[in-house]
Amino acid sequence: MLLEVTGFSKHFGGLAAVSNVDLNVEEGEIRGIIGPNGSGKSTLFNLISGVYRPEPGGTMYFDGENVTNLPPHEIASRGISRTFQMLRIFSQMTVLENLLVGHQRHTRYGILSAIVGTPAVWAEERRMRAEMMDLLAFIGLADYATMPAGELSGGQRRLLALGRAMAMRPKLLMLDEPAAGLSPLNVDKLLETVLSLKERFGLTLIIIEHILKVVMDTCDLVTVLEHGEKIAEGTPAEIKDDHHVIEAYLGKEMKDADVRAFLRG
Amino acid sequence: MTAHGTDEAAPAATTGAKPVTATRHLLAWVAGIGVLSVLPWLAVNDYHRFLLDLILINVILAVGLNIVKGFAGQVTVGHIALMAIGAYTSAILATKFGFPFWLALPSAVLVTALAGAIVGIPSFRLEGAYLALATLGLAESVRIFISANDYLGASIGITDIPPPSLFGLRLDTHLSYYYVVMPLALAGVYFSFCILRSNTGRAFKALREDPLAAAAAGINVQKYKTLAFVLSAVYAGCAGSLAAHMTPGFIHPNSYMLAEMVTLLLMVILGGIGHIWGGIIGAIVVTIVYDLTRDYYNYQMLVFGMVIVLTVMYMPTGIGGIIDRYIVTRRFVALRKAKGDAA
Repeated sequence: MLLEVTGFSKHFGGLAAVSNVDLNVEEGEIRGIIGPNGSGKSTLFNLISGVYRPEPGGTMYFDGENVTNLPPHEIASRGISRTFQMLRIFSQMTVLENLLVGHQRHTRYGILSAIVGTPAVWAEERRMRAEMMDLLAFIGLADYATMPAGELSGGQRRLLALGRAMAMRPKLLMLDEPAAGLSPLNVDKLLETVLSLKERFGLTLIIIEHILKVVMDTCDLVTVLEHGEKIAEGTPAEIKDDHHVIEAYLGKEMKDADVRAFLRG
Repeated sequence: MTAHGTDEAAPAATTGAKPVTATRHLLAWVAGIGVLSVLPWLAVNDYHRFLLDLILINVILAVGLNIVKGFAGQVTVGHIALMAIGAYTSAILATKFGFPFWLALPSAVLVTALAGAIVGIPSFRLEGAYLALATLGLAESVRIFISANDYLGASIGITDIPPPSLFGLRLDTHLSYYYVVMPLALAGVYFSFCILRSNTGRAFKALREDPLAAAAAGINVQKYKTLAFVLSAVYAGCAGSLAAHMTPGFIHPNSYMLAEMVTLLLMVILGGIGHIWGGIIGAIVVTIVYDLTRDYYNYQMLVFGMVIVLTVMYMPTGIGGIIDRYIVTRRFVALRKAKGDAA
């Protein structure tokens, strides 16, 4: 088991954004997380990535190590990488620099040698740049390497956010609505990129997505949240037929008699 | 050469043109050192040489402030107090403990770096205007502490701070002192470029733009915030010590007031926040203008304050930003053209 989350809870004021959620993800798996708006999907991501601290009782193991309550940069340095719904790319930095920031944890020089500018630093910088240019070519942004990231179009920004998360060379990649706002054609392209990245780097993926087609086509297992609670978990086919899920999305089924009663007033 | 987020080495790496840029950079540095070496001999009189020394000290200060404010985006108003700590540490060590300049300077830098780490602590919790207020409070308490402490010369200041001497030679002219200040200023600028182009500089810029995203990318935000404050304090301490030992060897708490901080801010803002060259240009321009208008001392702050407001409103990226914008636009047009030709 790569990721083992047990009993994660988070309240905002009196509202339970996430309550007592378990999440176990196997290595190499693609896990989908779905649920209506406000069901706690993003909060769960924020808990896993250390942005929020889980309430007492929650534990998280990653790769056999207890990483509960670690700060975000520590969690990231263990190999858990994520994207944000709002992307949060560094818009005043160049496209290449965005990736280099992600790649930071693999740098092999110290702060002092960086300040003095030793030849070893320049050699390492060249290696990092070459490697990141490779990754940029892979996601199709190589032409824009020296552009400020703020100049990119919406779709390119999504790719860049994905690239920055990949630059960390993570074991687990968590994508928060990677396809939001993309045209159907671009959704397919993005999925293709994600799947080829998974193939090439041997990733484990957790994907939050509203576009059900994405989840149903690509995920091995799907977890469904509603009001912060896990209401179902299973293969896409099982989830499709689960009446809890249908209720969560479409509301309770109305019996014929009820409808007639309703129409009569 | 642009400092702000652009890098010429990146596309060159793929085209094989890299050695050319490296040679060009080296030539630029050699030419710069050449010009700087003969500059004081071209000065008309000793007062202009004094001004040259002052400009270089201000360059060190501005480049240092640029690290914490420009790269890392921490709004600090306490930088001038760090300079005061550097100046007073150096002066006390030299006058009361007989430290030679060459020992007093590094000690002052060390003490100031420590003070910088303390000034940086509020930045863990505060941002923007609130951080500015906290650092302002710290800075003013340092100045008031100095003005009220007899050991530190109180409101009289410290006099007779010895100039540095080298092989028995007293460097007490503005000409000889220039050759102490110039290499340090050059080194400061060089290190600043190295920082900006390394992962440390990128970490600073990342936490300036989005601390949360930076943390999610594996950057220890508190560590790098502290580091930015400490690095800029090293520059401030060095500048303070240099200012103290310069003939006539006199420092006074009034040299570290809010007005001086405003002048320092003007250098960085006018030059362009986050631009190393911009900061240098700003330091040169502001020091000269400050000197030219010193007869109208009462109106100086009025004008400087207005220039800051106007710059922030109509030219928020400063002189450096305009140059940068030009380069980016040119690159974008070139890219468009290349794509058009290919299609």
